Amino acid sequence: MNNVLSNLLRFLLLLVAQITICQHICLFGYMTPALFLLALFLLPLELPLSLQYIIGFATGFVVDAFAHTLGVSTFACTLMMFLRPYIVRMLNGTNNNKFENIDRPEPGVKDFRWILLYTLILTSIYQISAVLLETMTVRNFGHTLLVIIGNIVFSVVVILCIEFIFHPRTKNEA
Amino acid sequence: MNNLIEFFKKAFHIIVLAVLLILSIVMLGKSLSFNDYRLSRAVQSIVGPIQKSGMGMVHRFRLGPENEALVQQNIELMRTFDNMFLIKEDTILTEMSKLDSTHTKQVRLYDYTYAHVIFKTTDRTFNYMIVDKGSNDGIMRDMAVLSPQGVAGVVTDVSQNFATVRPILHPESRISAVVTPANQNGTVIWEDNDPRVAYLEAIPQHSEINIGDSVFTNGFSNIFPKGLFIGTVKEVQVGNNASFLTIKINLATHYSDIYTVYLVENLFKAELDSLKANFKDE
Repeated sequence: MNNVLSNLLRFLLLLVAQITICQHICLFGYMTPALFLLALFLLPLELPLSLQYIIGFATGFVVDAFAHTLGVSTFACTLMMFLRPYIVRMLNGTNNNKFENIDRPEPGVKDFRWILLYTLILTSIYQISAVLLETMTVRNFGHTLLVIIGNIVFSVVVILCIEFIFHPRTKNEA
Repeated sequence: MNNLIEFFKKAFHIIVLAVLLILSIVMLGKSLSFNDYRLSRAVQSIVGPIQKSGMGMVHRFRLGPENEALVQQNIELMRTFDNMFLIKEDTILTEMSKLDSTHTKQVRLYDYTYAHVIFKTTDRTFNYMIVDKGSNDGIMRDMAVLSPQGVAGVVTDVSQNFATVRPILHPESRISAVVTPANQNGTVIWEDNDPRVAYLEAIPQHSEINIGDSVFTNGFSNIFPKGLFIGTVKEVQVGNNASFLTIKINLATHYSDIYTVYLVENLFKAELDSLKANFKDE
């Protein structure tokens, strides 16, 4: 129950931060961080898959509604939530279909390299699909690529900073 | 039958995934199509008010620069709509046209600038304000000071970077004014130590003054251009002095929250003043 509440609170805070602050950042004219992805990254892996998809869909929809890009983030988030278990399995190097409660994708549980790769791969999936859906063209592909890479780098940096600043110390000691 | 249920249990999340992905694709298609706004409108009707209040908050931080831009625009508008001109013979045009008739040109009588009030008093008997521009910015003694609402005062002292303004709220303040529609000239003075109220004196008793009549500057003083708003009539009394009315007026300027003021320079003031001085001497 406590877990559910903390997750909800995290979703709320990160979505508000995304909508009020991050959405309006436009570094060098094209780099916008997707901070709200952190809430999806930290979602417990043992949740039913269909619930995870629905959460991804809803989160994407809220972000889309405020960014006037209906469908873009929604699709990208749902896709990302679908691929997430496979990425975790790949990073763990096991083929175990069941995730234990101990297997949380959080700092303190996993080492930094794991978290970095996990964040990088999932952010890349989100940004590539979102930017491609948003531009909907292959014209000027160089710039599109620049936007994708810029967004990925900026998002990953912001997400990792927030994640490591706010993660509870006690878990590290235990 | 059991197999089917098993299959559904296993494939349930795939079905959910497919439905959600198709839904988002449909949404994307709807938002891209140019003739079907129903979905975006429905979303906007929910999101719009939230975004509006959010932007209001962000806007607060940008008010400073925007205010400066608006003040600049106001100065431009004042210059444009100012109809105080001297009509003079345009010697060059008259010569060039080689005709007997003389051509005229308009010469601007007043110029405008602005400043910000950095200190003010309103609750004393001898009130004053200090603005953040001085002789370095071309501010001179006896320039008229206007608030966004109307007449505010007169510059009485100038240093290099600052200037002192004597507001209407000062016993020595005297502004010649005309009350419309009676069209009677009088003088606005301040007596009651109330920053909202002043007196209009020297209006003959026979004139028909109603509550709510407007009081404007009449341009006799060489300081204020003609037709600037001073205030509205609040009370009309037959005074002790039998020949004049005692008229209380509500001042237009809100001295409590005055910040940006406009300064008016009479470009011919020195010339006019020297004429007046001669007149006094004789």
